[in-house]
Amino acid sequence: MNDRRLRLSPSEVAEQSLPGIGHRYELRGAEGEVVTVVIHHSGRRDVYLGTDADEDPQASVSLDDSQARTLGAILGGAYFKPAVVEEIEAVVGGLLIDWVTIRPDSPGAGRTISELEIRRRTGMTVAAILRDHDAMVAPEPDEALRPGDRLVVLGRPEDLATFVHHVVG
Amino acid sequence: MGDQLVALGGALLAAGILARAGRRVGLPTIPFFMLAGIVFGPNTAGIALVDHPEDLELLAALGLIMLLFHLGLEFSIGDLAAGGRRLLGVGAIYLGLNVGGGLVLGLAMGWGTPEAFVIAGAVGISSSAIVTKLLTELRRLANPETRLILGIIVVEDVFLALYLAALQPILGEAETVGEAAAQFATAAAFLLALTAVARWGAGLVGRLVTSADDELLTISFVGLAVLVAGLAEELGVSDAIGAFMVGMILAESPVAARIDRLVLPLRDTFAAVFFFAFGLTIDPADIGAVVWPVTAAVLASIVLNLAAGIIAARMNGYRRGAAANIGLTILGRGEFSLILATLAVGAGLDPRIEPFVALYVLVLAILGPLLATRSKQVADRIPQHWLTRSVAS
Repeated sequence: MNDRRLRLSPSEVAEQSLPGIGHRYELRGAEGEVVTVVIHHSGRRDVYLGTDADEDPQASVSLDDSQARTLGAILGGAYFKPAVVEEIEAVVGGLLIDWVTIRPDSPGAGRTISELEIRRRTGMTVAAILRDHDAMVAPEPDEALRPGDRLVVLGRPEDLATFVHHVVG
Repeated sequence: MGDQLVALGGALLAAGILARAGRRVGLPTIPFFMLAGIVFGPNTAGIALVDHPEDLELLAALGLIMLLFHLGLEFSIGDLAAGGRRLLGVGAIYLGLNVGGGLVLGLAMGWGTPEAFVIAGAVGISSSAIVTKLLTELRRLANPETRLILGIIVVEDVFLALYLAALQPILGEAETVGEAAAQFATAAAFLLALTAVARWGAGLVGRLVTSADDELLTISFVGLAVLVAGLAEELGVSDAIGAFMVGMILAESPVAARIDRLVLPLRDTFAAVFFFAFGLTIDPADIGAVVWPVTAAVLASIVLNLAAGIIAARMNGYRRGAAANIGLTILGRGEFSLILATLAVGAGLDPRIEPFVALYVLVLAILGPLLATRSKQVADRIPQHWLTRSVAS
């Protein structure tokens, strides 16, 4: 499986304002591919694809606000989530936000947050538990994790692997 | 009353229908609004929606005020500073070539010195509206030179505001030097007062118009813009500058983003009336007298824009394609040229300025997008060695 991933860290997204139009964000792939997203003041979004060698982009698409949000949600994994959890993390300004699912055989299944000593051992914080359509925001330490729970976790990117090993397995 | 409503509604609808046809082939709207005014005005055969252009005078003035108010609202020192010295340099070269060229042309036409200054501005300053629309429609927003083009437009917008202020004493009807000096002093004092408000009193003015309610916010900022524009006109500073300054002051307030959103439909509606009303005053019979000056101006603009594009591309290490894109995109002329022509008419200058600017804007409105779309072919004709200066200086 291809494990190359594009991290949304500010150092890899170039932002520029386009006076009178809106803002432009540029993401560079490893082989010179460039994805440019233009967000207009009107809410319209343009996505351009090209390479460093091109003078003009090779392809482009225009989306209205709701189409853009739908595309963003698809890319963010809201509809279908690949099995490998690390691939859908988001890192914003050095803070990582990720969603992980507890499986029946996970080390954390059936144990509480305080028993697992999640914050002390992994450095990560469980910000919310999504269980059967309900969201428990800032869960109590005595809340036991159940198979099927989706945890929203926050922390430093380098601590994610420890957390996954300790809680998710 | 009824006939005036029929005239206004018919004007907007006719402008809309013509502009729609233009949009289908990728042409900008502004010249078509003006064309609707010419076709459905009193000076051409066929239907005359409006027999007396002065019926639309007040609404057209409102259009001019809204255009300049919005420009002031979008004005940002931050945008100007973000581009750095190189951007200012490119903007200055662009304006130097085009406004300078316009002035030479204007003087050569021999209509008079104030007329030459109006022509310099009308020929030299690009249309923000047409350029941004063209970049979006030609799908060039991801190109590296696009940032530079929009930067030049910002420099031009600032220049326009300063130029309008500087032009006022030239356009004034002062008989003696003393009178002119007095007019200039009044204008300068008024502008200084508004600048001081922008600098220190923006918060206070912001509180005057701020409301959580869109309705109250709208009538407050429209009222303020129209009032100050009117006062400015009374003091001989021109309503355009007054409206621009109010926009600039409100740009600093926390409600700037909401005003920006609320003013757009007002600006679009009344600006269309302004362009239509401009067209009403054009008599096609006068066009014949300006064909050669317009031909010269159009050719000069194409050459000077391409020259500016090549210099800008060279300074930034861009290739030929970018050079042609820069030059041919900022060739768009529209609202600012028409505003300057309106000021000239208001000041009683040579009446040939109106048909001259009308025809010039119309020709470039059609030629500009056509050339910008084919900028690749133009780029291939630019000698490669003109752009070979290295990026680092």
